[in-house]
Amino acid sequence: MSGTLLSVRDLKVSYSVGDGKVDAVDGASFDVPRGSIVGLVGESGCGKTTVARALTRVIADNATITGGQILFDGADIAAIPERQMNALRWRDIAFIPQSAMNSLDPVYTVESQLHEVLRRRGGMSARIARARAEELFKMVGIEKNRLRDYPHQFSGGMRQRVAIALALALNPKLVIADEPVTALDVIVQRQILDQLRGLQAMLGISVILVTHDISVVAYVCDKTVVMYAGRIAEAGPMDAVLTRPSHPYTMGLRNAFPDLKGAASGTLTPIEGAPPNLASPPPGCRFAPRCPFAMEICSKSQPSLREMSPGHAVACHRADEAPVLRELAAKTETWLAEV
Amino acid sequence: MPHLKAAASRTLQLALVLWAVVTILFLMFRLMPGNPMAAYIDPTFTAEQQQALMAQFGLDKPLWEQYFIYLGNLLQGELGQSFRYREPVAERIFTLLPNTLILTFSSLIVAYAFGILAGAYLAWRRGSAVEKAAIPLVLTTRAMPEFWLGMVLLAIFSFWLGWFPAGGTRPAGASYGSLWALYTSREFLSYLALPALTLAIYSQGLPLLLMRSNMLDVMKEDFVTMARIKGLSNWTVVVRHAARNALLPVMTSFAIAVGYQLQGNVVVETVFSWPGLGRELVRAVSASDYPLAQGAFLMIAVVVILMNLIADLLYAFLDPRVSHA
Ligand SMILES: Nc1ncnc2c1ncn2[C@@H]1O[C@H](COP(=O)(O)OP(=O)(O)OP(=O)(O)O)[C@@H](O)[C@H]1O
Ligand code: SF4
Ligand SMILES: [Mg+2]
Repeated sequence: MSGTLLSVRDLKVSYSVGDGKVDAVDGASFDVPRGSIVGLVGESGCGKTTVARALTRVIADNATITGGQILFDGADIAAIPERQMNALRWRDIAFIPQSAMNSLDPVYTVESQLHEVLRRRGGMSARIARARAEELFKMVGIEKNRLRDYPHQFSGGMRQRVAIALALALNPKLVIADEPVTALDVIVQRQILDQLRGLQAMLGISVILVTHDISVVAYVCDKTVVMYAGRIAEAGPMDAVLTRPSHPYTMGLRNAFPDLKGAASGTLTPIEGAPPNLASPPPGCRFAPRCPFAMEICSKSQPSLREMSPGHAVACHRADEAPVLRELAAKTETWLAEV
Repeated sequence: MPHLKAAASRTLQLALVLWAVVTILFLMFRLMPGNPMAAYIDPTFTAEQQQALMAQFGLDKPLWEQYFIYLGNLLQGELGQSFRYREPVAERIFTLLPNTLILTFSSLIVAYAFGILAGAYLAWRRGSAVEKAAIPLVLTTRAMPEFWLGMVLLAIFSFWLGWFPAGGTRPAGASYGSLWALYTSREFLSYLALPALTLAIYSQGLPLLLMRSNMLDVMKEDFVTMARIKGLSNWTVVVRHAARNALLPVMTSFAIAVGYQLQGNVVVETVFSWPGLGRELVRAVSASDYPLAQGAFLMIAVVVILMNLIADLLYAFLDPRVSHA
């Protein structure tokens, strides 16, 4: 099992609001290799959830996929008929939402919600579904006598495990996890991430892990895709991107988050300012208004995603100067001087 | 068992409410201006005869003593004698109560069944032409006075088309072996149809609008979106998840509506000469038949209080967040 499971090509998604529209995802391209965890990281509002949901094609009423391809196992699932897409849902592409509390139906037991997908989507008999539900609970480390409990009877961490069990129910090829640990405290975050990593390795599935927290990416991901304002800023192997970030935004993110492993990483420096309003994004590089290294060209022409080293792509006019910029970015003053 | 404790405290609370109602009723009828016996006592009676009658009804005793006698009697199910019918109030009430309950429940069941289905449908078809036409229509039915609606239905289906009888519960002179035989007879159903339809039309708006707005809220919930991401069928998403959750408050409103409806019945029972508690209450008050009026009030209050209890229990039963707390 090697090669690429999912390849997103120039994906565009916009929301219609009032008379206007918001181009929440404006040409995103990235690959998900088989059997790996890919972290999709970026600040709040940069379009991570929009990308994640577009992959399931269950999007908001006012959203439209306006362009691009979603090649899943070689077929463009952005273009297949709804009926065919629906056949893929949960069997091939499953989803772990941020808040398992709100995403589990409060009036059914978790067992009944597992059986729902096992039977209605997996076509299993009641007897086989029962055995499978127990097996899934064992996989995520919950005692099977809790199957009959209702969602509100679980703690936050447990509910997230239930959500993982649900996602794995039909042996999907791809699991999209949208901020699966954001609502949890750090210790529980680590437990859940460890478990997700373990199950992913055991089952050999691919996972897209959406998070705004780059330390979560550093903790479990094989590959990192950094998003900024609806576009991909940088993408590549986790180590390469995090130890040798080549986009100023990634450099800034590195400074802004503590380490999930608990290692001291010096002072935290936030990136000043806020992401642009996507209803009227700035011309050229969207990070330019906040970038300490912006030049004239940056606000004129949009930098395209270029491969700097094998598998490591960056969308920055100054990507070639990355080693120098990295040194500057490590200094707190660099980030304070701007804006 | 936190469960039992909650149920016990709820019951105690209801007992207190009931006691308050009983007391207010007592005071209301005692403190009303005028002699409660005025309608009953013939002016030609001598003072002694009047005195004897007052004593017979216990009205010569001090108020507090009357109150305790009254409470004691109530506990034994003794509601006194009707002035007008000269028969025990309890007996009178228990012959009328089934008529009222049958009318109330049949109309509400029809109203809720229709309202829930139509409300869910309209939420699902949000923004469609059907929805745009239906909502003003529903609002209109909510605004129509019941007596007017009753008259219109009478005029059309009884006087004009002649499909249904105009009033009462049975053909003149008809008699039935038992109450059960009456209530299950075809004639009874044809007498029930128009008043029940009137009340059903009048009541369907509440469950319909409630169901619709609940559905619209629930459809925005994450678990509904998740159901779609799971690739479940539209039917499963809308019915098994959205409607099932939206139904909770509607079901509790049913129990409360029963109590509420008993008051609405007064008008419809009068229009259709339906021998129910509401119509009797109006007649008892206007004829100054205080024991009967008091008994009818009390009975209605008991049903209202009981239905509130049932609403609570129903909610606990239907919502696992309450029953499995
Ligand atoms: N239904 C919608 N209608 C209009 N705009 C929307 C809608 N949903 C999201 N947006 C906008 O699209 C942009 C991207 O939103 P999205 O939820 O994908 O971001 P995100 O990266 O997941 O953020 P977060 O970390 O807050 O979850 C934001 O500017 C947001 O305001
Ligand atoms: S293109 Fe220019 S503004 Fe954008 S990140 Fe690179 S240096 Fe900064
Ligand atoms: Mg999000």
